[in-house]
Amino acid sequence: MANIAAQRIKREFKEVIKSEEVAKCAIKLELLNDSYTELKGEIAGPPDTPYEGGNFVLEIRVPETYPFNPPKVRFITKIWHPNISSVTGAICLDILKDQWAAAMTLRTVLLSLQALLSAAEPDDPQDAVVARQYKENLEMFKLTAKHWTNVYAGGPFVNSDCDDKIKRLIDMGIEEHQARVALSSYNWVLERATEQLFS
Amino acid sequence: MSFLINALKNFLHRMFQVLSLGKKTITNSLSIYVKHIGGRTLAVELDPTWDIKNLKEVVAPKLGLEPNEVKIIFAGKELGDEIKIEECDLGQKSVLHAVKIAKKTKLPQLNDGSFIEENEDLNSSKPLSETLDDSMFSHEDSSSSSAIIDKENSQSEASTSKSKVHFYVFCPTCKEMKSGKIRVRCHFCKSGAFTVHSEPQNWHDVLITKQITGTCENSPESCANVLSNREPTFAEFYFKCSEHTSLGEEDGAVPLDLIRPNLRDVPCLACADVCDPVLVFPCTEGHVTCLDCFRQYCITRLTERQFWQHPELGYTLACPAGCPDSFIKEVHHFRLLSEAQYAQYQRFGTEEFVLRSGGVLCPQPGCGMGILVDPGCNKVACINGCGYVFCRLCLQGYHIGDCRPADYDSNSNSEGCLYNVDPGRALEARWDEASRVTIKSSTKPCPKCRTPTERDGGCMHMVCTRAGCKFEWCWVCQTPWTRDCMGSHWFG
Repeated sequence: MANIAAQRIKREFKEVIKSEEVAKCAIKLELLNDSYTELKGEIAGPPDTPYEGGNFVLEIRVPETYPFNPPKVRFITKIWHPNISSVTGAICLDILKDQWAAAMTLRTVLLSLQALLSAAEPDDPQDAVVARQYKENLEMFKLTAKHWTNVYAGGPFVNSDCDDKIKRLIDMGIEEHQARVALSSYNWVLERATEQLFS
Repeated sequence: MSFLINALKNFLHRMFQVLSLGKKTITNSLSIYVKHIGGRTLAVELDPTWDIKNLKEVVAPKLGLEPNEVKIIFAGKELGDEIKIEECDLGQKSVLHAVKIAKKTKLPQLNDGSFIEENEDLNSSKPLSETLDDSMFSHEDSSSSSAIIDKENSQSEASTSKSKVHFYVFCPTCKEMKSGKIRVRCHFCKSGAFTVHSEPQNWHDVLITKQITGTCENSPESCANVLSNREPTFAEFYFKCSEHTSLGEEDGAVPLDLIRPNLRDVPCLACADVCDPVLVFPCTEGHVTCLDCFRQYCITRLTERQFWQHPELGYTLACPAGCPDSFIKEVHHFRLLSEAQYAQYQRFGTEEFVLRSGGVLCPQPGCGMGILVDPGCNKVACINGCGYVFCRLCLQGYHIGDCRPADYDSNSNSEGCLYNVDPGRALEARWDEASRVTIKSSTKPCPKCRTPTERDGGCMHMVCTRAGCKFEWCWVCQTPWTRDCMGSHWFG
């Protein structure tokens, strides 16, 4: 790996550790190897959003050409969000693509992702299903996102209605996550989800 | 009495210095040329500890003049008698200019003469290298008001730490970035026997023509503009490499104006180290990178073909912080790359130029010759290259009738890869053919510029990665991206 990238990550790591956001537990950063190429990030779900109370883990891979190319960032924690793939965790955020600039840092990336959780951009989606729900049925979207936050990110809002419906599908022999995806995609209408799963 | 003895002593001492010239030069000599306006050029060996007066005493007799009839001009300045040679930023084989002082100024010695002397006391007799300092050249020269502030700053700083000016150049002889020296000549006749009326204050004065006026000492017959006096005579600034022996007046170097000494200890944008010198991008923020990071930035962008083909500046880059209007104007900055990388830069730049001008690149592996074609013609022959004749639209071998659609589906469906090899072409390089198959099966061409594009995940919405194309297209339809594509097969 190019020395510049490692050196830069080393500094940025220190910057994040010392930052006030870390002090407030809003973001976290961990090194996964000695060569500074792989890191684990964590962001807290912003207040007054469906993600409140959840902790979202991110995979950060630093390319050799960093900081002239953006880091590759992906959600490890499953999340229901129009700009994040509910399947792969891939993120659609301009600064991680063509709007990246060498002056940006891991700290700004983590903060931008946190901002993305509070302000989705459904017109530039990564997950078309989620985006459609967001635009057509915002309440249903919020309910679903809250439920996912509870199940996957340790959020406090238990939705027993959702849990019941998932249990019914599990009893039919469907795997839990698959059941949740099907129900989430069909606005928690059990019949339509079942239909889709068995078609 | 003692006054006389002293004067005699002085005289003898000087004579001795002049006579012992031969001995001194053996230990520590500077061999330079003195060019006289009459056209004669003298080769002179100098001791760097001499002053200009000593030099005049050596040179004047050879020109048939008295020492006080000669003035010595170097880098746009008349050098005062008391200046030491070593202060002048002279290199081996540098050229000084000797000019006979016009008689007019000699006669009214009381008035005019004293006036001139006073004038010269204001730094004007000192060489440029001594009077210019780095703080002048470390700013963007956008507005005059800032230049005035700069001046005040530099004056207040000057008392504490005035650093002599540093210039960096790309030297075509050394083929490297070197420290450089500023030189002055007449804008019209290119004669170095030229004195500036004022000193350049910033890069604007130096790089833009006709900013600073001066007096050309060249004989009227040689400098037409002195004779007819239609325009004020302007100074022209140029640069030399300070690390190799001068190869004459034509031996110039390209100034790298973005490379500057790091006077304020600004950390590098990319690695955050404080380095010296640094490259200051021409954006309003003046973002700074160290030279290693600048190279890395160039290599990264070059490998991804993300340099920008600018209509006026050429193949260039903007500030890595993404600032608007921050393109590097002097493309010689890319000479900081290695020879091989620079060759790649030149090749890509040429290719982009050809494509921008509506030309095509020969698709034959290993050829890539740029060909400019008449707009209506689809049959392209690689005339000065490999001789391949191909269709301009599909870049396959030339054919009559419509282009055959690429058979991607059959490739991806069958393990056996049913790519049809043209029998004639099958005889050609097999290795290249194999790599062509790989490229064909794993890529699709951008519908606009035909750059082979690989999709490594994500949705079907493609944005051409070639700098300057950025065409948005659909991976499935291979047409421009539409709402219908978004509706029916966005994610596959």
